Amino acid sequence: MTDDTTPMTDGGTDEEARTDGGPPATVPPDDETPTWSERKERSQGLAQLTYQYFERSRREDEDLRAESTYVERDVLGFPTWPHETIRNLAITSFFLGIMLLVAAILPSHFGDPANPGSTPAIILPDWYLYWSFGLLKLSPINPGLAVLGGNIIVSNELYGLIAHGVIFGVITLVPFLNKGNARRPVEEPGWAALGVTGVVLAITLAVLAIQNFFPFQLELLLSLTFMLPVAAGLITYAVLKTMREGYMYDLNRRYYMLRPPK
Amino acid sequence: MSLKKQDDMDHNAWLKSQDLTAIETAFLTTLIWLDKRLRIVDYLELLETMYYRANLQMPKSHTEQYDLDNKFWYWYPLYSLGSLSIIAYLLAAVSGALLGFYYAPSTAGAAAQGDPTAAYDSLVMIMKDVQFGFMLRSIHRWAAQFMVAAVFLHMLRVYFTGAYKEPREVNWILGVVLIALTLLFGFSGYVLPWKQLSFWAAQIGVELALATPIVGEWAAQLLFGGFTLGQATLVRMYILHVFVLPFVVTALIAIHVGIVWVQGIAEPH
Repeated sequence: MTDDTTPMTDGGTDEEARTDGGPPATVPPDDETPTWSERKERSQGLAQLTYQYFERSRREDEDLRAESTYVERDVLGFPTWPHETIRNLAITSFFLGIMLLVAAILPSHFGDPANPGSTPAIILPDWYLYWSFGLLKLSPINPGLAVLGGNIIVSNELYGLIAHGVIFGVITLVPFLNKGNARRPVEEPGWAALGVTGVVLAITLAVLAIQNFFPFQLELLLSLTFMLPVAAGLITYAVLKTMREGYMYDLNRRYYMLRPPK
Repeated sequence: MSLKKQDDMDHNAWLKSQDLTAIETAFLTTLIWLDKRLRIVDYLELLETMYYRANLQMPKSHTEQYDLDNKFWYWYPLYSLGSLSIIAYLLAAVSGALLGFYYAPSTAGAAAQGDPTAAYDSLVMIMKDVQFGFMLRSIHRWAAQFMVAAVFLHMLRVYFTGAYKEPREVNWILGVVLIALTLLFGFSGYVLPWKQLSFWAAQIGVELALATPIVGEWAAQLLFGGFTLGQATLVRMYILHVFVLPFVVTALIAIHVGIVWVQGIAEPH
């Protein structure tokens, strides 16, 4: 260190307070800091679009609020303490109690140690993966190509994996396929029927996974795996369609009782 | 005149001038002591807000407003499945942390094929020797079963009441991801005891991974630590089960519930 170095705390200039390679470490004075509107004007590209959209959406909110006839008033309700809290505690302890009780009276099975040398006759995952295991047993319906001499195009494992992908894909897409305000199954019998089809398919696939326990022929079991869900779906559809008549009648009657036609 | 710095706010003198009980004095002394060091007063407003939040009245819900209570309460169990899965998750987390004290993720100790390994032995030890260990494992297992069941039923409830519709699409997708992760949680936990069924379940996992085109071998290396099962598989499943998944799933559950909080519950009508 040379002796002309001035310590920074001792009235050093900006030149000395400079950080490595950067501009002087000073804060711009207030009048140089751009205001939000200035930033908006200066910004370009995506930032500008974002500002513009936010402005629009804020204006939309304000307009809606101005148009609205809604009057905010005090509503009667349950206080968080003690009503809601006690109710939640009750539900929580009920569930915890049920779980502890089941754990106490139904201890879990424990099998033999792993042996890479001998494949057990029955390989099974936990029950909640039976449907997935059933999808891996779809090899009999893995299509073969006549051109290839009846050889299959994708391996049986990959076929099962693709089935998983299709199922997860369809489930993910549900909100983008089914729109509108309908909430009750009776309002949309088709979608409710699809849901029932899915649930029954999960059950029949689980049965397919534990096929060893069922004294059917495999072909019959495979047919049932796909026929039963469709049948359940059709029945649901028919039942809901029928219910819908009475339900809509009731709803209309209530509507006209509240707002009688002029 | 004394050179001693004048204390503008002589809190102790003020304390003495008050006529306070012993409890009040102790409380105020502690408060002043802490406030001088941590400046609690700056956070007082936050505390106040929290206090009033806790004493909020829940607004009248849609069901109450339209007098649907008789119908709603009949279906109420279906509307508490989400919290049931969280409660089961917490129970599994607590019992799992306790089990983790005794479990050893190691395939060492098997002289011949089919002999019990260290992992298997540690489970036998938990079930036979550890005080309350049998119950602990049972609780952990059943909590997991309950969680998976609740998550499935929760999805069905959301589907059949159309609760996934606009503006709740993002939360539905998040839920699908959470179901997949829950199943992965279950699978990795199923492998840990290193019994016959665990081993062959993992074997099917490896075969599936290897059957996937392009990313298959990489995925097998990453998840199962190779193409044949062994010590590496067990440790990877263990780390997945006790380190990776807990953080990821807890964070996603927090976001999932947070979005419900922000958007409001999709109530039946």
